[in-house]
Amino acid sequence: MRSRRPLISLTLLLLTLAVLSSSSYAIPAFSRQYGTSCATCHVDFPKLNDFGKAFKDAGFKFPKDDESFLKVPPVMLGAPAQKDLWPHTIFPGTIPGLPPIGLRFNTFFQVVSKNRNDINAANLANPGTFIPRTDFQPGLFSIFMAGNFGSDIAFWVDEDLSVGGSNADGGLGDGYLKFVNVGRFFKLPTDSLSLRIGQFELDLPFSPARSHNLSGWDIFDEANIGAMSSLVPEQNVNNAFAMSSAAQGIEFSGGHTYRGYHYSLAIVNQNTGGNPSSGDTVQPVVGFFSDSNFKDLYGRFSYRFNLERDPASRNEVQAAGATGPRDHTYLNLGSFYFYGRSVQRFQGANGVLTAREPFYRLGGDFSFNYHAFNLYGMYMYGHDKNLTLFPDAETATGFQSGVPATFSGGFLQADYMLAPWVMGIMRYDVVKSSADRINTFGTELSPLSATRNRFTPGVQFLIHANIKAALEYQIRPQQTVFDSDGNRIAKPFRTNSAVADLEFVY
Amino acid sequence: MKRNLVVIAALLNALSLLASAGTISGKVSGVSGESVVYVEAIAGKTFPAPTEKPVIDQKGLMFQPHLVVVQQGTTVEFLNSDKVAHNVFWISVGGNKKLGHNLGTWPQGEKKSFKFDTPGAVPLLCNVHPEMSAYIVVTPTPYFATTDKSGNYKIENVPDGSYTVTAWHEGAKNQSKPTTVAGEGKADFTLSK
Repeated sequence: MRSRRPLISLTLLLLTLAVLSSSSYAIPAFSRQYGTSCATCHVDFPKLNDFGKAFKDAGFKFPKDDESFLKVPPVMLGAPAQKDLWPHTIFPGTIPGLPPIGLRFNTFFQVVSKNRNDINAANLANPGTFIPRTDFQPGLFSIFMAGNFGSDIAFWVDEDLSVGGSNADGGLGDGYLKFVNVGRFFKLPTDSLSLRIGQFELDLPFSPARSHNLSGWDIFDEANIGAMSSLVPEQNVNNAFAMSSAAQGIEFSGGHTYRGYHYSLAIVNQNTGGNPSSGDTVQPVVGFFSDSNFKDLYGRFSYRFNLERDPASRNEVQAAGATGPRDHTYLNLGSFYFYGRSVQRFQGANGVLTAREPFYRLGGDFSFNYHAFNLYGMYMYGHDKNLTLFPDAETATGFQSGVPATFSGGFLQADYMLAPWVMGIMRYDVVKSSADRINTFGTELSPLSATRNRFTPGVQFLIHANIKAALEYQIRPQQTVFDSDGNRIAKPFRTNSAVADLEFVY
Repeated sequence: MKRNLVVIAALLNALSLLASAGTISGKVSGVSGESVVYVEAIAGKTFPAPTEKPVIDQKGLMFQPHLVVVQQGTTVEFLNSDKVAHNVFWISVGGNKKLGHNLGTWPQGEKKSFKFDTPGAVPLLCNVHPEMSAYIVVTPTPYFATTDKSGNYKIENVPDGSYTVTAWHEGAKNQSKPTTVAGEGKADFTLSK
């Protein structure tokens, strides 16, 4: 019914790009405005420390007495006294005294194991992408702007000017306004309600877009395209949405990420294609498309227990260590839920049929921090309702429920600061899917189910606070793939790879 | 009668000291910004520690002032006026890393004190804000001065005699020179980084 080969090739390409160009950002604009080091907010940029989390929560401001820290005074767009005249005048605000612009560039070198092209050798008639043994690759050149317009209105815009050396592949990352603490207008507790509008990464437990890892967490990049093997019941699921996909919509949030509760509730455009949609992507032809007529829902709740013995220190942004302020010893527990619909169109007997397959993603996460050691992880379960053509593909007039397409997985990661400028990383990713995109090359080679896992040790060095060298080695245990007769037909596409990265922000 | 004689002798001694107190002046060049010039330890002489306690504040993510000169034995108070957590530590005193110390963390509005018993430059740092820095220069004698914008300095009330005078500047190599004070003494320095 559908050719999935282009999708698989695209997926492989995207995966390679994901490995080579994980988006991550630190904010030199804030360094310039406040005259302070990246280390004020980051452990190992872009990973935030507790102060950085509080700064972000506050709408890119110091949590208390922000004005006294600004080295570059903001430009007034109206005298503060004008507030008293409102609504008879424009409410006064500010813009940053310097354009709050930061730039980032990274470049990669990777070495891939010998079996990298075995899967192609098994299918020379229609090979996929051939991968070189070693490769230098430019990564992202990005511009990003963030700050505060006064009145607790924060903004963020980041744009990839080029990806992999190609100016054509960039695009908007996040672009939003955040109205911080709007709950004060309703006499709600401080910071209990904020509003974010625009395009943004969902409020995930761990940010793929601002991860310090060189490669993304597999579970956040997992789409659900259903089983392709003829040995299992037919699945028409073809949902390219991944949790790392950017979302367009509105988000209500509250609480803090550095202590106590935190929640968010987002209403965003429906997304089947893996990209945020707009109305003009709804096309009356066969295929799968995003459809902004429907809004997906995302919710998250977490609670962070700061575990300092001293109650006064426990409630501060940073803990009072014996040799200086430091991140808290804490345990953060959270859960999240995403509900959406996947839009697909099929050619039926009497015209195009539209299926809107409900799907959800449900997960839980934790993060434990003790001084320089951070252990964190998450588990997620994905479920897509599978609508198959009724009564059959040739004479279809409608749909019937089939076997749902599901996947599950997560990761466990430990970061340890060996020195203030050296971070050691050990990580384990696992995704169990009825259609593992990594290992499938076509319906004939599809595993009935697959567990894709990898170990990723890494180390990162801050050459300066804004320059980083990073290395990670991705170890993927081999996975056996059998054909319908039970014969092993090819070495699986499970390559080990070493990736080195140099990046700088300024 | 005997008591009167003692008082008179003391007064005469004091007058003779005042009469012989001189100055050391000069210019520090080769660097820009404030430098410190001080008289090195004088053999056989000790000086009581001052009771005054200078304060170094942490405000707006900066140490204020950036440079403090104190006599050996002075207690310095460290204040945190910021609404963010700070820390003060130094890795050495006069280059001696064994004298490094960390004062820890304390809340806004409170002070921590430390008595500096060893002469030398103390580079102050904050371990959560790497850009913050300040210096305390601990001098072995009460005879010290800082330079003006032109690099000129004048150390007052120095008794006549022969001394070693040292010039210190942030990031530059110290330079010492012998100087004789007979009412006036002069020492110019050219420092380099």
